[in-house]
Amino acid sequence: MTTTESGPAIASPRAGTSEPLLTVDGLGVEFRLRDATVRAVSDLNLTVRAGELLAIVGESGCGKSVLAHALLGLLPGNATTTGHAVLHEPDSEPVDLITCGQRHLARRVRGRRVGLVPQSPATALNPVRTGRRLLAETLRAHGHDRADADQLAVDVGLDPADLDRYPHELSGGMAQRLVTALALAPDPSLLIADEPTTGLDRPLVDHTLDLLRRRCDNGSAVVLITHDLAAAQRVADTVAVMYASRIVEHRDTDRLFTAPAHPYASALLDALPDRAFRPVPGDPPMLTALPPGCAFAPRCPHRTDTCASQPPPTPIADDGTVACHHPIRTGAVT
Amino acid sequence: MADLATRPPLLHLARSRLRLRPGQTGVVIAGLVLLVAVVGSLLAPLVWPLDQSAVALDQTRLAPSWTHLAGTDDLGRDVAHRAVYGLRVSLLVGAVAALVATVLGGVVGGIAGMLGGRVDRLLMRMVDTIAAMPHLLLGIFIVAMLRPSLGAVIASVGLTHWLSTARIVRSELLSLRTRPFVDAAISGGAGRFRVLTRHLLPHVLPRLALATTLMIPHAVWHETALSFLGLGLPPHLASLGNMINDGQGSLLTGAWWASLAPGAVIVVVTLAIAVLAARWRDRLDPRVRAELHL
Amino acid sequence: MTSPEHLLADEVTVGYGRQVVLDGVTVRVGRDETVGLRGPSGCGKSTLVRVLALLHRPDHGQVSIDGTPVHGVRYAVPVDLRTRVAVLFQSPRAAADPRLSLDDLIAEPLRAVRTPEATVRERVAELADLVGLTADLRGRRPHAVSDGQLQRACLARALVHRPDYLLCDEATAMLDASTQAHVAAVIRDYQRTQRAGVLVITHDQTLLDHWSDRIVDLAGAARART
Repeated sequence: MTTTESGPAIASPRAGTSEPLLTVDGLGVEFRLRDATVRAVSDLNLTVRAGELLAIVGESGCGKSVLAHALLGLLPGNATTTGHAVLHEPDSEPVDLITCGQRHLARRVRGRRVGLVPQSPATALNPVRTGRRLLAETLRAHGHDRADADQLAVDVGLDPADLDRYPHELSGGMAQRLVTALALAPDPSLLIADEPTTGLDRPLVDHTLDLLRRRCDNGSAVVLITHDLAAAQRVADTVAVMYASRIVEHRDTDRLFTAPAHPYASALLDALPDRAFRPVPGDPPMLTALPPGCAFAPRCPHRTDTCASQPPPTPIADDGTVACHHPIRTGAVT
Repeated sequence: MADLATRPPLLHLARSRLRLRPGQTGVVIAGLVLLVAVVGSLLAPLVWPLDQSAVALDQTRLAPSWTHLAGTDDLGRDVAHRAVYGLRVSLLVGAVAALVATVLGGVVGGIAGMLGGRVDRLLMRMVDTIAAMPHLLLGIFIVAMLRPSLGAVIASVGLTHWLSTARIVRSELLSLRTRPFVDAAISGGAGRFRVLTRHLLPHVLPRLALATTLMIPHAVWHETALSFLGLGLPPHLASLGNMINDGQGSLLTGAWWASLAPGAVIVVVTLAIAVLAARWRDRLDPRVRAELHL
Repeated sequence: MTSPEHLLADEVTVGYGRQVVLDGVTVRVGRDETVGLRGPSGCGKSTLVRVLALLHRPDHGQVSIDGTPVHGVRYAVPVDLRTRVAVLFQSPRAAADPRLSLDDLIAEPLRAVRTPEATVRERVAELADLVGLTADLRGRRPHAVSDGQLQRACLARALVHRPDYLLCDEATAMLDASTQAHVAAVIRDYQRTQRAGVLVITHDQTLLDHWSDRIVDLAGAARART
């Protein structure tokens, strides 16, 4: 997607009409394995604006975590990445996260401009440092006052006293909050949160989500990767539904939850306990053998012969285009 | 490792794949070296017999040449010829001693890990106590009590090297015992014996076999050290330690080759075993081993 | 008088060291009902599951199945009593032996009680079908399937002995909405057809509201402290 003008009508109501902060254009990620190639991300386009909270939802193994790692240059060596992901910050040069190289990412981007809340906190924490040391080091490295550590802990819902514990002395939920605090410490303009609420119970889930929401209200952007649709509905401005390496529908949260246009998005919402509580029939395809046409076609009630052979259109958030030959129009199926 | 569960299998598999590539050539070379060493020492008595006590005083300290590839020592014995027999002894001692240590360590660690509680504490304190003594000293003590012989050397090395194995087995069992899949098995009706044989041992055995393999080089070095100190095998028997010891005298007279061949054989062969074992350890990681379907 | 048909934790107290995790908790799961259990994080929900599953010995109190008190835990419980209560754990990765294929995983409890191999195969196929595991998936090992697929295999394993009681400890917390609905649908169906008792533990209030027949608050289940 090109960085077209951002007219007043197209941005989501909550995000306002700010400039794009991140534009992802034709992003693809493949893993070479001994006997197969895994397409984890295919031809992905996205725009995240300053102040926007974008939630990426989908079944496990659909490629959403790979997307997060690709944006931070954290993929293993057998991965091939194509396309662009350009970060535009108001007072610095645009930087392409895909092509700028590891050194530049490590020194200038990762942590300070694009932060990550990783998925498995236990492996992301240095085991021989207390939470306070870890936080103080991060704060100092980015020119902040180390005394802010207590405030950060309170922000993420962690008792400052628990900062003096070592990672192995923390519960899963406490470790999760600590890595969130570490990611927030440098105050990145874009935060990527990969399942940040794993292991937390409801009040803390809400607390963490509210924290992310507040960041966006203060002008930062957050990409929230989650399998929890309720969480996405609660805080996101826009939601992108990912299926078998592609985004199939990306639109304003309220519209997605009230009138999904892609049959997969619709089926996924029907699985919620307060809706039909009915699973999507069938299994997702293997990422090693994606069909030439629509990957959802075998499970789709609206499929036709076209679906199996023709790749669906590229979804566009602004005009409601979804990756489907037969999108659901409100009230009727065409 | 516990949070394997929370990681995306996709990234995970892709990352572990990466570890497989480097070191391919090293493994092939190590395999060839070990093959030659084992086959050579097995076939040596048939194709190249050695009279252990023969000397040739008219051919002492000859430099390496086509007739004597690694030269001769101060009694005129062919160094290369004796190094082959030395390796034979060393590998035998190494393998048998490692086996003795594994069985001993496996039993002690197995009892401690399966029973836990007071038995575990008692056994582990015993292990700690023995581990606190320098094990070469302990080995010397054991050999000194017996008469210098093959059996004494094996006992000395085997009886001092089971401690780490016991610790490995115990900690593996203790961590496996509390895993939810063991709970699930018990809940499904499995008895103690079935849980042990079906769910615990299959996880421990590969690691135990690996520990044994890694111990062989160690045991070989110990045999050499004991023989070098004159506490190992009878001095006329060709063993790598004896040869290096004998070579000491020749070194002073400029005959450097007498110690070189046995020394090089030890380094090369033990290195080969260690390289193969390290490779094996990587393969044990189930993430690497898993067949890839995504 | 007929014996009561319920799985009962009667005034159960469990402590680790000095910390009391469960203090005189009484929870009853009747046949033919789904009980939702709610309570704050760290209030001992998982410990209660382990007590009810006969895997953890309470310091005080007792577990009984259909009025029969159970003495001892783990291996000490007679097999026919043990297999009447099954557990579905939160993390399928931790609950599955990584060496076994999904087929062997489901078959394991049957083989543990020396079921003839022909019966085993038949029953495994039936259960794999029930939870929607295709033939291609059944031959794979845990590392080669997704969390959702593995949890479905674990569910099949939990149902293999046709337990009277099934305990779900945050069993769908790590799953996406579709797999969650699938797992819940299979369990609800089983519960109805087998007249089984199901205990659902989750922090997700919406899920609890739509899944359980009645909800128990763990804080309220504890005896009032003096």
